[in-house]
Amino acid sequence: MVDTQKFAGHLPEPPAGEGALQPGSVLQGRYRITGVIGVGGMGSVYQARDLRFPNVTRYVAVKEMLNLSTDQSMREMTLKTFERESDMLASLNHPAVPEIYDYFPSKTRAYLVMEYINGRDLEAIINSLTDFMPVETVLKWALDLCDVLGYLHSQKPEPIIFRDVKPSNIMIDQHGRMRLVDFGIAKIFQEGQKGTMIGTEGYSAPEQYRGEASPASDVYGVGATIHHILTRRDPRLEPPFTFAERPIRETNSTVSPEFEAIIMKALEFKPEDRYANAAVMKEELDRLVRPGFGDVRRAEVGPAKHETGEWVQSGVKPLWEFECEDEVRSSPAVYRGVLYVGAHDNNLYALNINDGSFKWKFPTEQRVVSSPAVAGSENLVLFGSLDHLLYAVDSRVGQLSWTVKTQGPVQSSPALAHGHVFFGSDDGSLYAVRLASGRIQWSWPGGVPIRSRPLVTGELVVAGLESGDIVAADLSGKMVWRFKAKRAVVSSPLEHDGIVFFGSLDWQVYALDITRGWKVWEFRTGKPVVSSPAYGEDKIFIGSVDGSLYAIEAASGKERWSFQTEGQVTSSPAYYDGAVYFGSVDGKVYSLEAKSGQLRWSYQTNGPIPSSPAVQEGVVFIGSMDHRVYALKA
Amino acid sequence: MNFLRRILGHTTDTLTPLDDDIVITRGESVSADNPPAPIVEAPSPPAGKAEKKAGAQVADQSNAPTELGVDSLGTRPLPPLETVVPKPGQRLVFGQLSDVGMVRGNNQDAMFSIVSSGSSTDDLPDFGLFIVADGMGGHQEGERASAITTRMVAKHVIQEIFTAILGQRMNDPDRPSIAEILRTAIQQANESVTEEIPEGGTTVTATVILDDLAYIAHVGDSRAYLITHDGIEQITRDHSLVQRLIELDQLTPEEAAEHPQRNVLYRAIGQSENLDVDAITRRLPPRSRLMLCSDGLWNMVSEGTILTVVSEHSDPQDVCDELVRLANDRGGPDNISVIFIQVPG
Repeated sequence: MVDTQKFAGHLPEPPAGEGALQPGSVLQGRYRITGVIGVGGMGSVYQARDLRFPNVTRYVAVKEMLNLSTDQSMREMTLKTFERESDMLASLNHPAVPEIYDYFPSKTRAYLVMEYINGRDLEAIINSLTDFMPVETVLKWALDLCDVLGYLHSQKPEPIIFRDVKPSNIMIDQHGRMRLVDFGIAKIFQEGQKGTMIGTEGYSAPEQYRGEASPASDVYGVGATIHHILTRRDPRLEPPFTFAERPIRETNSTVSPEFEAIIMKALEFKPEDRYANAAVMKEELDRLVRPGFGDVRRAEVGPAKHETGEWVQSGVKPLWEFECEDEVRSSPAVYRGVLYVGAHDNNLYALNINDGSFKWKFPTEQRVVSSPAVAGSENLVLFGSLDHLLYAVDSRVGQLSWTVKTQGPVQSSPALAHGHVFFGSDDGSLYAVRLASGRIQWSWPGGVPIRSRPLVTGELVVAGLESGDIVAADLSGKMVWRFKAKRAVVSSPLEHDGIVFFGSLDWQVYALDITRGWKVWEFRTGKPVVSSPAYGEDKIFIGSVDGSLYAIEAASGKERWSFQTEGQVTSSPAYYDGAVYFGSVDGKVYSLEAKSGQLRWSYQTNGPIPSSPAVQEGVVFIGSMDHRVYALKA
Repeated sequence: MNFLRRILGHTTDTLTPLDDDIVITRGESVSADNPPAPIVEAPSPPAGKAEKKAGAQVADQSNAPTELGVDSLGTRPLPPLETVVPKPGQRLVFGQLSDVGMVRGNNQDAMFSIVSSGSSTDDLPDFGLFIVADGMGGHQEGERASAITTRMVAKHVIQEIFTAILGQRMNDPDRPSIAEILRTAIQQANESVTEEIPEGGTTVTATVILDDLAYIAHVGDSRAYLITHDGIEQITRDHSLVQRLIELDQLTPEEAAEHPQRNVLYRAIGQSENLDVDAITRRLPPRSRLMLCSDGLWNMVSEGTILTVVSEHSDPQDVCDELVRLANDRGGPDNISVIFIQVPG
């Protein structure tokens, strides 16, 4: 394990010559030094024998504090503070607080003589463990620790704050009792550290780094210590203040959710979100060991996330809903107050977004699973049908403008750019068709069905294939690069800042250099990825058949959060104004905080939702396999 | 209308194409408002398996002269991309300087740079690899840790990326991603340092540049900055205690700069066997600059001053020299290392 001070490289040598007390030397004619218990930056702790009791061997601990300041007035002030703290300690009376016997200063240092505790500190105990400590033992320690800290916090006129609760300052003596050692007196002697060091203290509350300490800071130290013991994960080896990212029960399932909840509350970043002092925390812990009380309180302590979600959900009412004659798997497109969506009843519907009223519908010969695209300047809505055709219909009145016939069902959704529509067909080709005329400019033969919506940039057309290939062609239809995923790519690629993102049925989410197709990163989900990515707040949002929606940092490929639904997430998320919207096969429409993945609301429909939402002006539009299209307040 | 040219291959109206498969049906609006437009249509290549170059044959069939100087057989080169594609005389240029500073007796920083640039039909990308490491530990352990780290990272990246580019193996789908290669490179350096120098440690910030994409991996508090016409942006996140406190709104950046524990890192090479490495990718806009530096520079020279220096010097080496001079003028309490890279455009 790393010595947290390992790279300090400037620790004062144990005081030499005049400084270091040699075994055998006697202080005040009374304390004969018999050994060194510990060496710290500010002085040593010695074991000594009290010569006033010549007939018995009575050991004491002698704590030495170096007063190194060269400034005379500073030295005097330090000494005064030390004296005051010693007086305070001497006045305490608690079985876990070592007794203070004596205090005497010299020119460059001060000595505190106290009870010698024969035992092991918790740090040594943790390090010797080969398995988890029994939870009952840890709970008892937590109670004992809160008991003594609660005693300190109850001191008048001011609560005493220990400031440095950590395993190495907690001892279990030979009788199995907990003892608190090293009351942070050393702090007043401590100067700023110099030189780069690796490793943090790990147990101190955030506000203590601003020089603020309260009883709630000690509560944090208790939480950190108990978290370390229960998880066996040393906080000094983790990024600071990341306990929340390491839920206790994830590593140690023998811990009850109630115990975990109390520890996690003690570890809140903000002091006001923790228990106000150790006594309050002890009350909560007491309920865990006194059956009968625990059950009553459980609901208050346990995480209330799910309940919150359900509660919020009841507040969500559709602004309107529209019933088609069959399932709606296509994703709506919204343009100038009109929503366009395809249905399994072969129709493309145009609805008024304000009230969901029917404007027109256009019948094809087969189901419409492709999601429409609207070409504003041409007044066209474009969509594919399983009847092998791509349709261009007048977006205002629903009158057919032109069609393009392919040799297979058109499941791909069209993409519009540069006055052209780009789409794939199950006949294996990628088509570029001129919007003004409906004429094919080129088609690129992929050889296998192309079902994703192509991505068109200023330079390239990128499309996923059923073979698992993803290909980039230039705007004249000439292939520029090809990347092979291991299974089909139905997810529609998305570009951001030179990188193209998409998912594959091989369970991965890929990020490629868009100019060369080289793999930038990959992210593995738990099942195939059908969903297409959305971008927002430096993150990629994408669903997986494993039931989760993932937020992945675009630049690094690292998961930021994930949200588990009760069904496959094949719907593609939409990002809008700090929130992410998507559907799940569990029949719900979800809205999550983009930053944290916290549930904002969910709305239950009566069928699975493979459709992807369109969000505009604060309204979410989405189809469901219950035949309906819903408009929900974002 | 550049895009149109790319779609059409050209913009003349003299083409007489039309593939019989293309059907305009049931439409009425085509004729009146939208007379048939000039079309360059690709002949449908034989159905079936798509050959690797199948798309390349899909091109212009006409003999008409074109604005792009494309020959009539559809074998024209790729259209120029509006990204950073080095032209003769335009390539990555960089400067670098590492200085012991005014206080320390030894320089525990290490640097490594390599740039490759060329021109051929293989269209290899401009390649750059830049590494800064800031060692720590007494008894020469710091400089040994940073030296091993730069050497190990360079070795792995050159093997797994540069050699793969020359071997045209970058498209192999079973290859680890570029981010993964960088992570592995740093993790291997960590293993070596942990094994060989148990008391030493180092930060490392390594950047691979492939044309206009920068892949940056780092641990510790050596930084990468991106400088564009919009200003200067720190694109690495320090693995330091004070940075975490800033992120938790417990400290302001100003307080952090004065904090007694501002030099405490929670992540560095040599800390433990399992090392979490940040690896991020950023596009480098044309004419932008990327700067890697150790804390001996950024602790002493503000972002505003860096911008001023950059604006006053056109030669990247001059920028490095001036930044190091400024850090030394202000006391130079630590070793100072800086690599300054200019992106063409």
